Amino acid sequence: MFKELDPILHSQLRLAVMSLLITVQEADFSFIKEKTNATAGNLSVQIQKLKEAGYVEVEKKFSNNYPLTTCKITPKGIEAFDAYVKTLQEYLNTGKK
Amino acid sequence: MHNDQELSQEESLKIITEMIEKAKSHFHESGSGAILWGSVIGFCGIISFLQLYFHFSIGFDIWLLTAVAILPQLYIVWKNRRMRTVQTYHEAAMNAVWSTFAIILFCLILYLNIVTGITKQLLLDEHQALFIKNTISGETKEINPFVPSSNSLFLLVYAFPTLATGFIRKFKPMLLGGLLCLLCFIASLFLNTTYDFLLLAIAAVFSWLIPGLILRNIYIKQQAAHV
Repeated sequence: MFKELDPILHSQLRLAVMSLLITVQEADFSFIKEKTNATAGNLSVQIQKLKEAGYVEVEKKFSNNYPLTTCKITPKGIEAFDAYVKTLQEYLNTGKK
Repeated sequence: MHNDQELSQEESLKIITEMIEKAKSHFHESGSGAILWGSVIGFCGIISFLQLYFHFSIGFDIWLLTAVAILPQLYIVWKNRRMRTVQTYHEAAMNAVWSTFAIILFCLILYLNIVTGITKQLLLDEHQALFIKNTISGETKEINPFVPSSNSLFLLVYAFPTLATGFIRKFKPMLLGGLLCLLCFIASLFLNTTYDFLLLAIAAVFSWLIPGLILRNIYIKQQAAHV
């Protein structure tokens, strides 16, 4: 019996955001937008969902009078991502057999 | 990138791999810190060599440039921080190591400049002075002794990994421990060896023992949560 894949992570854009954030200490909104090719509106909504799940921390500040949003993965987010990858591996290993 | 598309397991894996690769390919080491220190130390070394070899003096200690070079190092860190859109663990670690190096170098220059005067003062406190005698003329003159304060150097060495770890992990107890090590180092420059040992003990307790106990406590809690 397989575990269910985490529905928060099992979405194209949210998974992409989490995969980026797992690699870095913190990243600006503009960096995530550039790497995921997402629209600002859609990205904001998905980051908000990750934040509500407690998977990312979002810090809003100003730099040179421009708003700057920085995102960082939380320990809970790391755990969730780790569990997601493990479950994914189980699915893929079974598929190979 | 859309969001509500149905994802297969293979697609999920592809997204994860692609994003990790994209994040990795974004970073390029600028080498600014290494270029700065390589130029400054290299220049100072060559000038010192030329002064000794050709018997001339430029009139000031060229190695003071290394103290001045700390400012551009701090500027590089500050500029990178302002310009970057992302910070990797690797980058954070590099910044921490080079910034700590700049601080330690500054302290070492302080050490070399202070210890000579202080050694003389400490000897005077014990009613002692060092003289050099010309064996032909019999003339004696007082010399400024340089007795290395090994415990001060140990305190500096203690501060390096403690501060770097504190910066990299953003772990306040170790950061404070590292700063305390530096304070103990400064105090040790003005105190005699007896008190230096007390400072070593204080530094060890606050830099390692207490942060270590805090880490152990966190570890035990984490282990208990996973049982």
